[in-house]
Amino acid sequence: MSSTTVAKPLARRASRGGSPRRKWTVEQIVFTTLNTTFLVTLAALMIYPLLNTLAISLNDGMDAVRGGIGIWPRAFSLQNYNVVFNMSTIYQAFFMSVLKTVVVVVTNLFFTSMLAYALSRKEFIFRRPITLIFVLTMYFDAGLIPNYLLIKDLGMLNSFQAYWVPTIISAFNLIILRTYMKSLPDEIIESARIDGAGEFRTWWQVVMPLCKPTLAVVGLFVAVGSWNSWLDTLLYNSSDPALSTLQYELQKLLASSMNAGMNSVAATGSAASGGQVTTPIALRSAITMVAAVPILFVYPFLQKHFVSGLTIGSVKG
Amino acid sequence: MTDPVSTLVTPVSTLVTATGLEPALEPAGSSRAQNRKARKNAAKDPKRKITWDRVWAQRALLAMSVPLLMYQILFKYVPVYGWAIAFQHYKPGRGSIWNQKWVGLQNFHNLFTGVNGERFRRVVVNTMGQSVLTLIVGTFGAIVLALLLNEVKNLPLKRILQNITYMPHFLSWVIVASLASVALSLPSSGGFINQGLMSLHLVDHPVLFLTQPNYFWGIVAGTNLWKELGWNTILYLAAITAIDPSLYEAAEVDGAGRYRKMFSITLPSIRPTIVVLLIINSGWILTTNFELPYFLGNGLVSDKSETIDVFVLRYGYQLGNYSLAVVAGIFKTIVAVILVGSANLAAKRLNQETLV
Amino acid sequence: MKRDLRLGVLRGTGRRLTVAATAMALIALPACSPDNSADKNNSDTLSPSNPTTLSVWITTAQQAPAPDNKITKLLKDKLGVTIKYEIVTPDNEDQKIGVTLAGGQYPDLIGTGDLKQRFLEGGALLRLDDMLKTGAYPNLAAHVKDDIKKMSYSGDQVDKGLYIFPNYNRFYGDVTGGVYYGPAFWIQKRVLADAGYPDLSNMTLDRYFQLIADYKAKHPQTDGAPTVGFEVLASKGREWGMTNPPALLAGSPNNGGVIVDSNNHASIYADKDVAKNFYNVLNKEYNAGLVDPESFTLTQDQYNAKLATGTVLGMHDQGWDFGTATQSLQSAHKDEYTYVPLMPVYPGVKPWYQDRAVMNINQGFGVSVSSKQPKKALKFLDTMLSEEWQKTLSWGVAGEDYQVGADGVFSRTDQQRKNYKDVTWRASNRLDALLDMLPKHNGKFSDGNAYSPDDQPAEFYATLSDYDKNFMAKYGNKKTWTDFVNKAPQNPKYYPAWNIKLSDDANQVNQQLTDTSVQNLPKIIAGKPADFDKNWQAYVDAIHKVDVKVYEDAVNAGIKDRLANW
Repeated sequence: MSSTTVAKPLARRASRGGSPRRKWTVEQIVFTTLNTTFLVTLAALMIYPLLNTLAISLNDGMDAVRGGIGIWPRAFSLQNYNVVFNMSTIYQAFFMSVLKTVVVVVTNLFFTSMLAYALSRKEFIFRRPITLIFVLTMYFDAGLIPNYLLIKDLGMLNSFQAYWVPTIISAFNLIILRTYMKSLPDEIIESARIDGAGEFRTWWQVVMPLCKPTLAVVGLFVAVGSWNSWLDTLLYNSSDPALSTLQYELQKLLASSMNAGMNSVAATGSAASGGQVTTPIALRSAITMVAAVPILFVYPFLQKHFVSGLTIGSVKG
Repeated sequence: MTDPVSTLVTPVSTLVTATGLEPALEPAGSSRAQNRKARKNAAKDPKRKITWDRVWAQRALLAMSVPLLMYQILFKYVPVYGWAIAFQHYKPGRGSIWNQKWVGLQNFHNLFTGVNGERFRRVVVNTMGQSVLTLIVGTFGAIVLALLLNEVKNLPLKRILQNITYMPHFLSWVIVASLASVALSLPSSGGFINQGLMSLHLVDHPVLFLTQPNYFWGIVAGTNLWKELGWNTILYLAAITAIDPSLYEAAEVDGAGRYRKMFSITLPSIRPTIVVLLIINSGWILTTNFELPYFLGNGLVSDKSETIDVFVLRYGYQLGNYSLAVVAGIFKTIVAVILVGSANLAAKRLNQETLV
Repeated sequence: MKRDLRLGVLRGTGRRLTVAATAMALIALPACSPDNSADKNNSDTLSPSNPTTLSVWITTAQQAPAPDNKITKLLKDKLGVTIKYEIVTPDNEDQKIGVTLAGGQYPDLIGTGDLKQRFLEGGALLRLDDMLKTGAYPNLAAHVKDDIKKMSYSGDQVDKGLYIFPNYNRFYGDVTGGVYYGPAFWIQKRVLADAGYPDLSNMTLDRYFQLIADYKAKHPQTDGAPTVGFEVLASKGREWGMTNPPALLAGSPNNGGVIVDSNNHASIYADKDVAKNFYNVLNKEYNAGLVDPESFTLTQDQYNAKLATGTVLGMHDQGWDFGTATQSLQSAHKDEYTYVPLMPVYPGVKPWYQDRAVMNINQGFGVSVSSKQPKKALKFLDTMLSEEWQKTLSWGVAGEDYQVGADGVFSRTDQQRKNYKDVTWRASNRLDALLDMLPKHNGKFSDGNAYSPDDQPAEFYATLSDYDKNFMAKYGNKKTWTDFVNKAPQNPKYYPAWNIKLSDDANQVNQQLTDTSVQNLPKIIAGKPADFDKNWQAYVDAIHKVDVKVYEDAVNAGIKDRLANW
């Protein structure tokens, strides 16, 4: 570990690209300026639509229909969020989404990394055929109906298991982890072997800690995928309201709002008694913010794992 | 409509790899042939027979992998019996899959020939075109962005920039398609791209981008780029930070400038990553995201906009014709396997990292 | 021992246990039967002392009721019924239907809007004719009596008979209502006002576009944005806005993709002169700058936004489609930007834009074959169809959601009207999802009130804005917006042709035809006038590549069938 602390300051200084004397040449100034300008412009381009969505979500529904809103709401209103949070199913759905995501991430990371470890060992006889069998699964799908029948026959319909059992191993994440583990220096494994550790111990106590950054990345991918998925709720768990997830409920809310738009032209000759409380476009924006914000905050927490701890090279040096 | 599992994978991402170690070991000036020979010799194990002893010795590894293999076979391979639907006139509800009317290759005939066939061929070309363009633009963009972000020395700024660039990934495709539609419209409808072009005097009249079929692939690639760029750089950046810093120091001593360092150290170090990802993505050429061409497409550009998934929705699911959906799926799989196999083989020939 | 049991062969202890168990059951049974028979008499009634839980599948965009919903409570208190909902939105319907049918397990009641009748033909529903004949379901029997032939399934996948109760437009008494929901060429009120409220009878396409052109010349800008003359509706799922007008212009009611002549023979009109003439006019107007070049690339949101900003002078659309835009304009007090329906037709033809609302056959509730309590389920539907419950479901609770006047006419306060439009309020006070699929007492109740507050004439007048009142007065004291369109003549016997169930091949051809139109029409409309004939010919050729005969034959077969059986 001491070699890491030595390597870090060196890494920072070296990756600066500047000489240790910290003198800024003209080239550096020009490049840094251009680079920073470019990146900031890019960031602005990327954040604008999100700010726009936020602005629309905070805008009165009737007014939002006219379009033309920038990054500030034209007619401020919290009504859209009111509608979302007054939905009776939202808190249960949020809880279920969180639970599902956590369970899926934990099981995924555990089993995938275990398998990745086994497949990263060069001496493992069945390494290639097993890898092939997993890799092929990235390219075919049996279809909606057979998958459904399998879940039904396993008795997992309308159960929490349907959320995590079918998705334990993703071949793509497997490849990510396997490749990273393959690249770890052999000396580490050997020294563990010499210390008398078996495969499980080697995996759990030696390799896994070194894999933190990769696990963080894979965990993030899995978390986002699980958080956003609603097809499994629709197909397998739609009969049980307690198992509904946030994305699915929000989708239904949006559909009902679009429907209300059509029905509300009826009722009265005019909107003298007040228009609808919200409109599909404004509600969709509010739903997007509610669905995306929780997961948006996961990455910054994981970011620290990406930056540090990746100085494997220093062990070698 | 999208498979939840497929949302776990991004079309262009990278592998974290510190295989940067291997190239680092090579002397700077060695020839490729020498490398290849050296590598072959190093990796060659004497052919050993699979004996019970060896298997028993590796029982721990087997315990780690075989149960999961069984699991995967159950959940992924066993349901493939459902491909039988492709050979039936499938009407759900008449009992089981085996209780259906068998029609042999008629569904294939329906899909690949006649009016449908003409449309399907065009649709396959569109899917490939959009995918390949997206892949190239996306990979290139992500690498460039990773390199540029790497050059940012101010750490807080770097983190903020990175955090912002991946935010579009979290917007749903429906919203992104809607935003793209607005962005590409007339200035009076909020189309700021046209506003920008006109204020820069690059065009006299606003351009109706969405009415031009030949722009559509570019629009898809561009929108994909905007949405996924930051997300795709996550792994590239992580890979770059894994590069041994002593390499940079050595290059510094040799008097290498910024660009030299990029081309001689950074890029070669993440090359295996790039290659493996390209191999994986080559298999996904026929799998595009469904929402963007569906919502952005319209009558004027449908020759170039309709993809396989959109076609399957309109002629498969919406007509209750599940058999057609399965036939298209089988077609996609066959093409995918061929492409991945070829890419993997090509990588092996070119002496790069391979997938299997 | 264990192995033997698994093989289904009972030996030794196992067998003895089974015999003992059977003996006990046999002994116990007679003791149970008096209770059983008493139960049997009550077991099919719905009462609080006999609680029932009905599982219900509903395809709807309406939301499920909130847990504190007051009508849910009423159902439980008065009938002992609890409903377990499974709600599937129409977008997700295709996939969910597929897997549910494959799985074979259905809830008690299935509320389906599927025009392809997948549940019906997949054998998921019970044939109800015999049950209705028993007389235990008076409301339902009266509901179907006159139209049972129409409502019954007449295909060949399952036995012919009644399976589904149509959920809309089985009318009792007169049809009332003020708002026009059907198709029309709409025009902004300010255009007509500016033109001096011209006579709207004998409207032609040329006059229509002339009105628009004149106004646009005078007012090229609307509130800072350029005025758009005519918007072609062509967004996803709304392509009929572009493809239907020719039929209406030719005086045919909305039969979908075909025109049915006086001999009851249907043929497509997309490649005929009635279509060619219309698109020729559109093409001319496009090149005169009256048609929005963005028409073909707008999403539904953008279309609504354009309408809501008041910049669009006219479009062809159906009244229910742009409700949000209308509401937005009204809430901004811009009534002059809202629309009024016009009915241009070709010379010598009488307009038939407004038709009598058609019954939604094969859409609504059916009882599933796997239900363990079909009698109770059917009884539930029957009870819900009573006038008392219909009033509760449709209007709400008297005194809370509406007032009964001294003359028995229902009315509402402004607050009640506001609640009615509030999505969150509705979740706690109405059973929208259930009501969407239930058979309804459309039309009028026996006390003269309209079935729905939406159709109650008094409600309509009470909330009409002054501008609109003034506008209607200028047109010879018309009373409602439906007065602006033709009086709906009696529907032909087979009407409408667009919900005839087609074979799979015909369905595919229909889709291909739609796609051909969507691909070619924009080019034709937006092309140069000199290229019109060339473009049109290319379009006709593309149509003839498709096997149109399959489609036409299927429609004609359906028409013949309806003429014979209805």
